[in-house]
Amino acid sequence: MSDSIASAILLTLAAYIAAGVCFAFGFVFRGIYTIDPAALHAPLTFRAVLIPGAAVLWPVLLRRWMLAGKKP
Amino acid sequence: MSTGYVAVQWSRHKRLYDASVAIGIAIYLGAFVGVSKAFWAGEHGISDEVILIRALGSCAIVLLHIILCIGPLARLDPRFIPILYNRRHLGVITFLVALAHATVAVGYYHGFGVLNPFRSLLTSNTNFSSLRAFPFEILGLLALLIMFLMAATSHDFWLKNLSASTWKRLHMLVYFAYGLLIGHVALGALQADRGSIGPALMFSGLCIVSGLHIAAGLKEYRKDRGAGTLVVDAGEWVDVGAPDEIPTDRARTVCAPKGERIAVFRSAGSISAVTNICAHQGGPIGEGKVIDGCITCPWHGWQYRPQDGCSPPPFKEKIATYQVRIVGGRVQVNARPLPPGTPTTPALASGGLS
Repeated sequence: MSDSIASAILLTLAAYIAAGVCFAFGFVFRGIYTIDPAALHAPLTFRAVLIPGAAVLWPVLLRRWMLAGKKP
Repeated sequence: MSTGYVAVQWSRHKRLYDASVAIGIAIYLGAFVGVSKAFWAGEHGISDEVILIRALGSCAIVLLHIILCIGPLARLDPRFIPILYNRRHLGVITFLVALAHATVAVGYYHGFGVLNPFRSLLTSNTNFSSLRAFPFEILGLLALLIMFLMAATSHDFWLKNLSASTWKRLHMLVYFAYGLLIGHVALGALQADRGSIGPALMFSGLCIVSGLHIAAGLKEYRKDRGAGTLVVDAGEWVDVGAPDEIPTDRARTVCAPKGERIAVFRSAGSISAVTNICAHQGGPIGEGKVIDGCITCPWHGWQYRPQDGCSPPPFKEKIATYQVRIVGGRVQVNARPLPPGTPTTPALASGGLS
């Protein structure tokens, strides 16, 4: 693998994860209620456990959050 | 079962289970390091870091083999079901051990140069066309990413919000990760010329895992082809057997013409039928029993009322139900599933409907 390809892969990955981490914090404190009301009174430790998954699967959650927000 | 979420659903048994796993890992690592230091002493001595890398890597692989064997073992012998309950905790622990292995390895082999360690990992070996020099580290890295994805989505929140089928498909990637790890170990040993003990053990593990899966699959196949699959009334109704052939507070599982399994329970003199697939992780409900008036899945204890397939309040899960009847002293179940949570009229075990 050439140096430029490796750099491109790592940069893309870093940007994706950075965006995911920012999204994850917003999601576990706000968006989560929109898609799953059962999380309304969940403790802080539960939200912390979700952050790694939310940081990776953020496009899926973002889509669900937006769709759930549009429902009357 | 979901009412409110917590970070980890601890119970006394789960704490005991996790403590046993932690002690087991500590003993394994201690023994591996001790034996390696004794064996590779003197002029053949290897550094502590390399021993630690091998100890952590082999430990993660042993744990992964245990995880892959638990499922088929529980299908072959119900006595293994208790160790199935905490498999997700074992998966997360395995990921953490594998992560420790990767951290030490990347730090040791790539952390002391001028390049970023990850950039060094990706660019130091580019012999993708050669088996003898293939960058086997990449295979381990891909397997680690899959294990991370599984560990990060192991909470019930993900199971519910990704949907059970998507979650299951995601977690079936463990077999792909296992394949990558076989390549990682085999090519690593080939390149380091460390002898054949590692690959031989890995091959033995592969045979055990494959053998157990094949045996469990054959058992399921035979079960589906067994008694209770006779179709009557133009494919609408499936014969289950005489009422007393269904054990009290247990089920008899039958296979509908389209292949789906139906669990027919007898409890408190009534006979009811629900899908054999638990809403939680697809566990075999028909292998569970009726506890406190509720059908209880053998895998994680999720419960459903026999008459409507709904979990008792405050839980909200639902599974499909089926109509049952008794004709000529034989229990029959309608092969068409009713929507999850649909109330049905149980048949009386003595004949007729309740």
